[in-house]
Formats: sequence, C-alpha cells, structure tokens
Amino acid sequence: MEPAVVISNLEVLFFGKAVLKDIHLSLWPGRITVLVGPSGSGKSTLLRAINRLNEFFPDCQTRGSVSLHLQNQYHGDIYQNTIPLSDLRRRVGMVFQTPAVLPFSIEKNITMPLQVTVGLTGSALTERMTRALQEVALWDEVKDRLKSSANTLSGGQQQRLCLARVLALEPQILLLDEPTASLDYKSAARIESLLLNLKERYTILAISHSLSQTRRIADRVCVLRQGQLIQEMDRNDMADIRTFQGLMEAAF
Amino acid sequence: MNRISDRILVGLTWLSGIGMCMVVTGLLLFLIFHGIRQITPALFFGDTPWLKAITGQSPVFDGIWPAVTGTVLLVFLSSAIAVPVGVASGIYLAAYASSRQRAFWGSMVDLLSGTPSIVMGLFGFTMILFLRKTVNPTAQTGLFLAAVCIALLILPYLIRTSQAAIAGISTHLRLIGPAAGFSKWQNIRHVLLPLASRGILSGIILAVGRASEDTAVILLTGVVAQTGIPRNIWDKFEALPFRIYYLAAEHRNATELEQGFAVALVLLFLTGFLFAIAFLLNRYAENRWRIRRYQ
Amino acid sequence: MLKINPPEKWIETGLFMAAVVSAVAIVSILLLLIYFCLPLFSGNGLSRVFSWRWQPIDGQFGILPMCAGSLALSILALGIAFPPAIGICTLVHVLSRGVFARIVLILTHFMTGIPTVIYGFVSVFVLVPRIRSLSEAGTGFSLLTAAITLAILILPTIVLVCYTRLEQLDPVLRLASAAMGFTPIQQMRHVLMPAATKGVAAAAILGLGRAMGDTLISLMLAGNAAQFPGSLFTSFRSLTAHIGLVVATDSQSLAYQSVFAAGLVLFLLVAALNLIIRKTDNRITANAFLRVQETRHEQNF
Repeated sequence: MEPAVVISNLEVLFFGKAVLKDIHLSLWPGRITVLVGPSGSGKSTLLRAINRLNEFFPDCQTRGSVSLHLQNQYHGDIYQNTIPLSDLRRRVGMVFQTPAVLPFSIEKNITMPLQVTVGLTGSALTERMTRALQEVALWDEVKDRLKSSANTLSGGQQQRLCLARVLALEPQILLLDEPTASLDYKSAARIESLLLNLKERYTILAISHSLSQTRRIADRVCVLRQGQLIQEMDRNDMADIRTFQGLMEAAF
Repeated sequence: MNRISDRILVGLTWLSGIGMCMVVTGLLLFLIFHGIRQITPALFFGDTPWLKAITGQSPVFDGIWPAVTGTVLLVFLSSAIAVPVGVASGIYLAAYASSRQRAFWGSMVDLLSGTPSIVMGLFGFTMILFLRKTVNPTAQTGLFLAAVCIALLILPYLIRTSQAAIAGISTHLRLIGPAAGFSKWQNIRHVLLPLASRGILSGIILAVGRASEDTAVILLTGVVAQTGIPRNIWDKFEALPFRIYYLAAEHRNATELEQGFAVALVLLFLTGFLFAIAFLLNRYAENRWRIRRYQ
Repeated sequence: MLKINPPEKWIETGLFMAAVVSAVAIVSILLLLIYFCLPLFSGNGLSRVFSWRWQPIDGQFGILPMCAGSLALSILALGIAFPPAIGICTLVHVLSRGVFARIVLILTHFMTGIPTVIYGFVSVFVLVPRIRSLSEAGTGFSLLTAAITLAILILPTIVLVCYTRLEQLDPVLRLASAAMGFTPIQQMRHVLMPAATKGVAAAAILGLGRAMGDTLISLMLAGNAAQFPGSLFTSFRSLTAHIGLVVATDSQSLAYQSVFAAGLVLFLLVAALNLIIRKTDNRITANAFLRVQETRHEQNF
C-alpha cells in the first residue's frame, strides 16, 4: 500500500532557530501513529507542518518536502503549492488540545464550515451534519438541542463536536494534538474508542502525553527529541509493558 | 459567488487601510507645506526680544508666546490636580476594591470619561454662576477654573491607566511582597508601583496630551483671544488650541492665516512628541514583564 | 494577636477618597445642570425650549433643531467611519501581519493623538472649498463637511476598540478555522466577526458617543445656523456647538437656560449610550484608553 503522507528532510525554523530538523516520516492509511516526546521537542510543529498551519505564525520557515497521496491521487510536495491551501486543510483535519468550539450553536458549528469551504446547502448539508454527529456518537445527546450554544456542552462533548466538525469536511488524514489532554478519564476513554473505530478509514497522526494511552491506541510510536526523530516502535515493541517502558525511558 | 464577494471585501479592506494612511500623511504634509516656513522666533515673540519675553519684562503682542505660556500653565495646573487623585484612585480600584466596588466606582469613571468636554466646560461655567449667586458675586472664569475642569476631563485616563498597569502585573510577582512579610501598602509602595511605573507614566503623558489639546472646556471657562500672560491663576488666559480655532474663523489677512498653520504645526509637534513618549514607554512596560510561555 | 496598623487604614481611606472623586464629580455635574434647568419647569419654559424655533429676538428658544443636528451628525459620521474601520481591523488582524499592518496600527494610534482643532482647521481649508463646489449653492460649511471630518476623528477609536476585542478572542478559534481550510477573509467573516459581534457593536456605540460629544468639529465646520439639517449640504448647529456659541455671546436668561437644557440632554444621551455599551459588552470600558497591542502570538512548538 502507498503511504498517504511522505515527509522527507523536513526542517522547520522559528525566528531562525530550528525547531525540527532532518525529519523523515511516512504515514499509512488505516493506522494510528502516535508522536511522543518531551515538552518543546517539536511535536505540535510536526503536526502543523502537514497542514501548513505553521505558516500562521509569521516568523516561521519550512524547508524540505511533505507529499500527500489522497484518494489514489498523488499531490506531490504541498509546499510547492500542488494543492490549494484551503483544500489541503480540509483534506487534512486537525483536532486541538483544548476543544475549539466556535461560539455558535451546535448545529452551526458543523454546518457553517461546510457552507463556507465546500459550498454545501440544503438537505445534503443536514445529512452530512447528522452523519458526522452519529460518527462521534454525539447525535443522541444533542439531537434535541441542535440550536443551543455549543458552549453549553461538557468538555468531552465539545471535543467530540470538534471531531465531528472535522469529519464532516471528509478529510483523509487526521491530526490530533493531544485530543484528550483536557478531558476527564471517562471522556478520554470515549474519544479513544472512537479513534479505534475511525482508524480503518483514515490516516491518523496523534500526539499523546500518556504512555498508557499510547499503548492502547498506537499501531506505531515515534519518539521526538530536540526536533529530531530518534526512535520508532511498532506493536511488537509495545506488547510487553516492561520493555516498552524501558524503551521509552531510554528515549526520553 | 462567495469567492467573488470575498475578493471584493479583501480589496475594500486594503483600500480603507491605504486610504487612512493617505489621509494622515496628507494632513501632515498639508500642515508642513503651509506652516513650516512660519516657524520662526517671530512666530513666538513677534517684535519683542525673546529674552525679555521669556522673563516677562515686556509683553508680547504679535507672537503666540502668551498662548504657549497659557497652555503650559493650564497643563501644569490641571495635572497637579488630576495626577495624584487619578493615580490614587487607580491604586484603590486595582488593589483594594472588591469586584463589586470596582464595578460600581468603575462605572462612575466610565460615565465621567463619556461626558462630553463641552459639558465639562458648562459645569465650570455653572459653578461660577452658582458662586455669583451664593458666596462671591464677583466670581469670574479663569485659569484655575479651566484647570479644574480639564483635570476632571483627564481624570478617567489617569485612573484607568494606573488601574490597568497595576492589575496587569502577574500573580507571581504580586505574591513576592506578601511572601516576604510586606503589609498591603508596603507591597504596593515597594513592589507594585515600581513595576507599574512605566504604564502609569505613559498614562500621565497621554493625559497631558489630552489636556493640551482640548478646546471646548476652555472655551467656556476663561480662554480669550488676546490677553497676554495671566497675572495670577484667577486671570483670563490664552491657549494654543484656542488660537488655532480663533485664527481659522477670524483671520484678517494672509499672514495671520499662515500663522494659523504654523500654530497648528507647533501644537501637533507638541502632542505628537508626547504621544511618541507615551507610546514607547507603554510598549517598553509591556515587554519588560511579559513572561514568554512555551509548551 | 494581630494589631491593625493605623497608617495602613489611613492610606486605604485616602485612596478611597480619591476613588470617590469621580463619582462626586459626575453627581455634581448632574445636580448643577438640573439646578439651572429648574426654572424651565415653571410656566411654559419647557415647551418654549423644547420647540423647533430658535429666534432669540422673537423670544423663541427652541433647541430641538440642535438635537436633530447632533443626532444627524453623529449617525452620519458613524455611518461614514464604521465600514472603513472594520476594513482596517480586518486588514491588520488577518490579512496583513507584516510591516504594513504595523505602520497602519501606529498611524491609527497616532491619529488618536492629533488635536481635534487641527482636524477642524485643516478641514476648513481642504474640505470646505471642495464641498462648496460640489453643492454649487451654499458655503461649504455643512452637515456633510462636518460628518466627514468627524468620521476621520472617530475612526481610530473604533478601529482600536475592535482590534483590541479581536485580539482578546481565543487564538485557538482562529487556528481552528484556519485548520478547517478557511481563507483569512473567511475566518474574519464567518468566525471572528460573529464571535466578536458584541465588541464590534460596543465599539460602534462608543464612536457614536464620541461623535455626539464633540464640539470643535461642528463649531468650525457646520455653519451653525440653528435650523433642521434638511440635507447633506445645509448648514446646521449641534447641541455642543450651541452651548459654546450661546455661552460665548452673552444673551438673555432664557437663552442661558436653553444652554443648560442642551447640556442636560447631551449628558443624558451620552450616559444612555454608556449604559448600552455596558449592557452590550462589559469587557469594554467607555474610556477607550487603548494600549498598543502587538501582533504577537503565544506559540507552542
């Protein structure tokens, strides 16, 4: 199978200082890759390099290439503008550490981005929203109060709403920046099981600070330290908790 | 459809940004073009030798020296009244008041800052009428009254900037004093005020700028077109902004008109200079205690 | 046993007294204005002041034309200033983050420091002749002239209040909408502006209050004829200018009382706007003292 994302020789600089250097990484569909590493090791930056969100910060430079292979169509290096920025970010969905709900109603949180970026209207819009909410198992909880403000939802529900908003845009790649970091244990468990259900259809790259969570969801673990990928582990390395912990401790 | 309207909107935003820059530079160039040649010693002192004018030995008739003195005196007096009250008030709101008190007294400050300056002037004028009716039948508008009214005008600026400067200090800096056994006032006096000093100073300078440019208040409280340097603080006075206002409407010949441009330029230099200092101080104050947080 | 140190208590009392000064000032302004308006409530004073005719020689002291003038002027000025203000906010907040945005921001701050009288003065020589030739009849001292100049005066206030409010929004909001593929202008239209609606509305009302309270612009540019502002090119008089004009030229007692009535009306109008701002968005103080907000983000790598 072709990898969906091929990162080669990536280097990202903030204020002229390298935050990531010499990164080579490929991501395959149907698998969850988890990035771990100490604070400041460049995990979020690596995530944002894949949807070019680092360009949001004015003092950032990116070198190297990130090629995408979406829906059997090869796009080449996204930094050579082979795909319009707006399309790229729609195809590569991102969920943030804190639930980034828009200060609108629950319904509008999902429909507005669809209207604006895809131009969807009418029944197609409603259908897509319903499907997305069902996919994150939020539909039953909110179907009676779609018009109420998204801020009235609990933290876990808000994060699922954000995931639904991203899924509604029909991405092929999901970037998850510590999606459960701000949630309680139960909500986190729900998101985890959702991710395991979703992974068949998406290419997922996630950041996690919890080693137990990493063990539960990851098919592959990449360790980042001081801006460099220093180790990779697959399921076999994680099977035994002792060896896994030993490897992680060596890596940190 | 959406794309097109988005494009048009982007075009309009650039247009408004560039338009604003053009208005400001146009205004500056216009004033400089018409006024710069008039900025000479004669503009300030007329025919009077400048040394005699400054020391007050002989009066100045043609120059704007009396207006400069009037404005300086007015600014000095009003700041002397407003700065202590404003800063103290800011300290109280930031460090002593409970959140309910802060909301209440804060709303009074907002009301005061929303009060049009002409109403402030009218207040001064009615005070004189009131005094005439009650204790002093010969009460007159003059420098002191104008200074009090201007002080009320700039008070909200001072209160809000001092309050913001103190409230903006981060929690861990705030706790250093109490942790070392300082009393509340000792903490304010030796930790918070020094930390907030630049912010407060920039507020004072902005308030000075505001005091030196206001025309509506002094219009009703004792400014006149021609009186020379005031003899005491109860006397009538001249002021730069009033001079500009007066010359715009009442210039008798081309020379007076050019003088108007020159005076406008002088006032702009003065307020621009104050503004620049306040701007730099404020920026420096913000950067100095900013704690950069990386995750 | 904790002993309360007397000086501490005195200091607090002293500071409290200072905080009370603003309240005392506001209350005394209101009371003095009311006191001097009291004679109006006897006889037919009230109906003579709140009428449409101002002809002191005939004993007509109506201030309603001035009320209409103030309203027309401030609403028109806001109408002229608001769209470009939002445009400039959009420009500096999402479209241009570089040198140009900095220049625009610094110029906007600088504009707040330009004395009102200078805007008026320049306008007399730049705008008035152009409006005069545009309207063919009339002197050029008109509603339109005053409104355009006043719009330039209140523009920076609106820009800076909106801009501050936009900067206060959660940065994740912008990041999230960018991550969904919104272009900068789409982020502004569909996410940031709707999220900051209250702040934007409050900024507009603040601008309206500024415009209503300004004296110099209308005094210098409106022509000051005490008549209803029927068209853009008519000369008219605002409440503020009315106060300045009548107090400056000594006249009869009822003329004076009309001034106090004008002052009271103005005070109440601006106070009402203030109240609306508080109800709309309590994070904005009507003071509008604005600090220089730098275009900087908290970053996490």
